[in-house]
Amino acid sequence: MRTYIISLVVLVATFGAARADRKPSRYVGIHPIPKAQGGGVCHIQAPHIHVYAPADVKLQYRDHDGWSYFVGDPVAYGWDGPKVSYYGHHPVPVEVLIGDDHGHDEYCYLEGPHYHAWEPPSGLSLELRGGAYWYTGDFPAAYVEARPVYDPIDTVYQPIKYERPVVEVSVAPPGWYGAVVVAPAVVAPVEVRPARVQAEVRVPAPSVRVEIAVPTVQIGIGGGIYVGGSHGHKHKYKGKRGHKRGHRHDD
Amino acid sequence: MTDRRRALTTLFTGVVVAAALGCGGEAGGDDATVAAWRKAGLEVSAMTETPAAPYGASACKAGTVSGVDVVLCSFPTDAAAKAAEEAGLGVVGQATGAALAAGSRLLVVADRRKADPTGRTIDAVTRAFRK
Repeated sequence: MRTYIISLVVLVATFGAARADRKPSRYVGIHPIPKAQGGGVCHIQAPHIHVYAPADVKLQYRDHDGWSYFVGDPVAYGWDGPKVSYYGHHPVPVEVLIGDDHGHDEYCYLEGPHYHAWEPPSGLSLELRGGAYWYTGDFPAAYVEARPVYDPIDTVYQPIKYERPVVEVSVAPPGWYGAVVVAPAVVAPVEVRPARVQAEVRVPAPSVRVEIAVPTVQIGIGGGIYVGGSHGHKHKYKGKRGHKRGHRHDD
Repeated sequence: MTDRRRALTTLFTGVVVAAALGCGGEAGGDDATVAAWRKAGLEVSAMTETPAAPYGASACKAGTVSGVDVVLCSFPTDAAAKAAEEAGLGVVGQATGAALAAGSRLLVVADRRKADPTGRTIDAVTRAFRK
């Protein structure tokens, strides 16, 4: 009995010490609050600390001088503040958004329509068309190199049900770089600069679910062709060519 | 009242006002921060002196703003205030909070009572301090 009590005391003391020593996590900018901590979105823009660690940190956050910066879609987590629509991949000028001069650019790898809480600063080649910003500039080697690591971010959002921005994809700017895979062994679009021809999914039926189970092939900027992984994306397209497509991803 | 007497009165008034401002600290000091918090719709308690040693500061005042704890400290230099951010975060400890320098002043804010679960108050507090 005595041994049992001593063991229990040691266990409680050890566990208590571990909790007391828990190192706070550092954040800068808004970010999702883990469900276990109540969920929702933390509104603090300034550098701040929480006792909890970021969820999906490898995909959804970038390190900025030791502080975690959220690069995902805050609306998916209940963000009710200002929001701006984007379509496809684009740069994230972290140092501008944070307001320091540490020279730090990252990239958003979310496919299709999504939100961020920030307006693009001047100087970025982001063009507003059809209700969203499209990136028409060049992607550097850093974007291509990091893509295998960050591209699976879409899998984080697949189980989340929320209203994505409605974007008129037929008016995508000529310089936009993006890709949509239609069906197995069918690759589209392929954009070849400088012609910048953009093929798209054209679905005459009112609603068609497209399952993707093959690797996507895309033309990398400056890097030739590379093959991306299969994420099993499910895109639900509504409407016809030239009409607004409800990009409500409810898959 | 002669013109000379009126001029002396004006000069004296100016000296008194300048002295009062000097005692209150630099422009954009604690009083201005408290006013900015109130203007932002936040409820600010009385700010009372608190030990400056944990922050390595010249002087500190503490209070609450809409349920979160705040400490405002002044330092001899901007660099000293910036360097004290880490000490400020240490004081926040296991709570949600922030420690931000602006000029020669430091703000430490901590939500120890979980009064601000989504950080709206802390965001407003830090925004007003940084202005």
